[in-house]
Amino acid sequence: MKVRDVALVAGKELRETLRDRRTLTVMVLFPLVVYPLVSLLMAQVMASHTARGEARRSRVAVVGPASITEGVRARLAADAKAFAPDALTGDARADAAGDRAAVESGAVDAVVEVSPGAHGGTRVRVLWDEARDESRQAHDRLGGTLGGVLAPGCGPLFALEDVSVAPRARVGGYVLSKLLPLIVVVMIMLGAFYPAIDITAGERERGTLETILSAPVSRFDLMTGKVIAVATLSTVTGLLNMTSMSLTMIQGIRLVGATAPVAIPWTRAASMLIVVVPAAFLFASVMVAIGAMARSFKEAQTLLTPVYFLCFTPSLIAGLGDWDLAGAAAVVPGVNVTLLARDLILGTATLGRTLVVVASTLACGALALTLAARLYDSERLLAADDGTVGLGAWVRRLLGVGEARAAAPSVALRATPGQALALFGVAFVLMVGVFVPLQKWRLGPGLAISQWVGLLGLVVIYARGTGRPLAEVLRVRRVPARAVLGALLVGASAWIVVGVLAQWLVPAPRELEESMRRFVVPGDGSRGLVLSLALIALTPAICEEALFRGAILRGLAGGLPRVTAAVITGLLFGLFHLDLWRLMPTALLGIALSLIALETDSILPSMLAHFTNNACLVILGYLGRDRSVDDLGRPAQLGLFGVGLVVVLLGAACLRGTGRKARDL
Amino acid sequence: MGAMPENEHGVTAQHLTKAFGAALAVDDLSFTVARGEIYGLLGPNGAGKTTTLRMLAAILTPTSGSAALAGVDVAREPQAARRQLGFLTGSTGLYARLTGRELLRYFGRLHHMPEATIAERTALLAGVLDLDGFLAKRCEALSTGQRQRLSVARAVLHDPAVLILDEPTVGLDVLASRFLRDFVRAERDRGKAVIFSTHYLAEAELLCDRIGLLHRGRMLAEDTPAGLRARAGGASSLEEAFLRLVAGLTATAAPEVKA
Repeated sequence: MKVRDVALVAGKELRETLRDRRTLTVMVLFPLVVYPLVSLLMAQVMASHTARGEARRSRVAVVGPASITEGVRARLAADAKAFAPDALTGDARADAAGDRAAVESGAVDAVVEVSPGAHGGTRVRVLWDEARDESRQAHDRLGGTLGGVLAPGCGPLFALEDVSVAPRARVGGYVLSKLLPLIVVVMIMLGAFYPAIDITAGERERGTLETILSAPVSRFDLMTGKVIAVATLSTVTGLLNMTSMSLTMIQGIRLVGATAPVAIPWTRAASMLIVVVPAAFLFASVMVAIGAMARSFKEAQTLLTPVYFLCFTPSLIAGLGDWDLAGAAAVVPGVNVTLLARDLILGTATLGRTLVVVASTLACGALALTLAARLYDSERLLAADDGTVGLGAWVRRLLGVGEARAAAPSVALRATPGQALALFGVAFVLMVGVFVPLQKWRLGPGLAISQWVGLLGLVVIYARGTGRPLAEVLRVRRVPARAVLGALLVGASAWIVVGVLAQWLVPAPRELEESMRRFVVPGDGSRGLVLSLALIALTPAICEEALFRGAILRGLAGGLPRVTAAVITGLLFGLFHLDLWRLMPTALLGIALSLIALETDSILPSMLAHFTNNACLVILGYLGRDRSVDDLGRPAQLGLFGVGLVVVLLGAACLRGTGRKARDL
Repeated sequence: MGAMPENEHGVTAQHLTKAFGAALAVDDLSFTVARGEIYGLLGPNGAGKTTTLRMLAAILTPTSGSAALAGVDVAREPQAARRQLGFLTGSTGLYARLTGRELLRYFGRLHHMPEATIAERTALLAGVLDLDGFLAKRCEALSTGQRQRLSVARAVLHDPAVLILDEPTVGLDVLASRFLRDFVRAERDRGKAVIFSTHYLAEAELLCDRIGLLHRGRMLAEDTPAGLRARAGGASSLEEAFLRLVAGLTATAAPEVKA
């Protein structure tokens, strides 16, 4: 890496991007002008609304025996600011239904029904309309006023006074910690969004890609320079937002009328800088990597928007949940920076944790940067007319109508990452919208239908749409005996390795393990071993493999480096299972299965490995030996992990090089 | 810069082949360009010109075969090879939000030229290419002709030994085209090896010392303009010669296809 070239590229990109109005708007105008304006406006509206409500007197009817109502009326009339006296006398009631109607129609804000209660007390019933501001207010006021009514001659039973011991700055920190981390992380992402597209896809669209590619600068230096420029811009966006947000939120709280002034813990807020810079680098790298894949501004936006939300989701989960920054949470990108930001504001962050978060974030960023450099080098960017077909033509072809068919009835479409992602999107929507409800309705039949009809059907339609035989889409090829052995070994041991690893990094709650167990072995004995094997081992081994290791993996591998394609397939596979706790184990398994399919250049070994893996779990379940990993001691866990790993590696050695030499055609 | 041993060729392409999937864009292409020579690389759309030029600039990696610029192997030392190269094609745009001067300085620095040399060359080229009036303007504000002249300056700023010019006169008026051809001739006379690619066969005939005719990724014929015309049975123009040569190829190839 030549630092000089990197600095040169970064400087030029920064200069050029800063001359773009769009970027400047997002970066400066929003945090400095729009947010404070909008939030102050909202605070003022709320404050004036509150003030107007407070100025208005509630109209309350008191009904019941005159002996009691008089006392209550007098009590309310004493609070002349809160209650309008004219309504107090206006007793329009005929019966209980009349009271209700009076409140519903808005004739009065509330009706207080009083009647003699037990032990000489009084029963009070307040009728109010929860969906009307005026009525809500009347309800609140009545609670305050009537709650203080005492029986003659009695003192209060409890005198309640609440005292907050938190210093003002800590209250400020607490308030900020609820929202600021999330907002800052999101703003860093937003700050990276446009520059990342502009610097990659924009470069291609404006026709300067070839100019820079013909200059004597290495791809990696070029990409590093670009990422640094984007990261700088997004850091500035993050910082501006952080400052502006802190001030606005505190101002807003003051305006709405908090009881005591709230102070901003400035030093702690500033310590969030530790998070901002690595996070900016990470998001910049990821977005530049994605942008580098796109061939136009529009395509980059299309690709980046889901990624933006994908990046945003962990931060949202972290921001809303009451999570500890420990274990896996410290290394999950997005989650860790959000949690660390929160801890920094609260002043509870430790040095060790901070280092882990910063280091893992930088490492992920470096990984994305390397990927970006490789993708930017891709010849796809320059060879636009290499047989890739737009979505419209693809759909026409799928439906068998229109010019696409007339023009090239026999030419098959090449598998591309775009197709793979679209396919996953469809499968995911089906999963959420159809398969999950189906399985809730009847687990067994639901599972069978979603897998055989849903997933496999989807692959069949996809193959037909792209004009390729199913066997070719899936890559059903005979493999040597060595590959079969390898797949068996990996299948028989991967679940151990992944299971122990999951227990160490993201231990699932007990209840979840229990429900998983009931899923495998129904408590009522309604499903025998053979049926369970067919449903839980054989079915996904064929259907899920066909979709993920067949169509999706081959599509991704059509435009991405092999390992990248395997990792993405694995992650999508993990996501598909819609389970936060099983995300990591299923993703790891998915990556392993993808690597098997690629290495052997056939789907059969990955099907076999998937079957073996699930079958082991089912059989253990039926033998009653599926103890929770947690119940085993550390030494037993380590032993299992070691043995499992050795077998996995043995399997990998058997699989190595069993695909034919010419891998890509 | 730009110095190279007397006996070295400016450009050497040996058995260059590039496949995109199953399609062969360039098929076993070999040619050389001497220093002080303008070599015309001609052919219809899809003949493989752009792919060939991109392989020479180390932008695309050949499926097989090799290329060298001023004796530097393109595959082995892509950065060093690019330093010997001035590359101008229809798709080498300019950074719209930089001014002409900033743009030249950026590329000068990427070529690791000393600041003084960048200033010197910029001043010189501003005179020759008539850039003075608009060097302070942003590229987005320039006319097509101004942009093209600035692009030429960008390509030759580091005084490279090899110049690749792909369709440099597209969109230029007669006067500007003439001006550009004169500039290319002057560069040749300074000892540069120039590859000039164009659709305008008449322009190639005017300018090129030697011409290679590409057709479907292969070298159809290679000779001086006069030689090519003679080869095609005394064609009156290069266009005529090209049409006859292609027709001859399809006539001989047809029986093979049927068999």
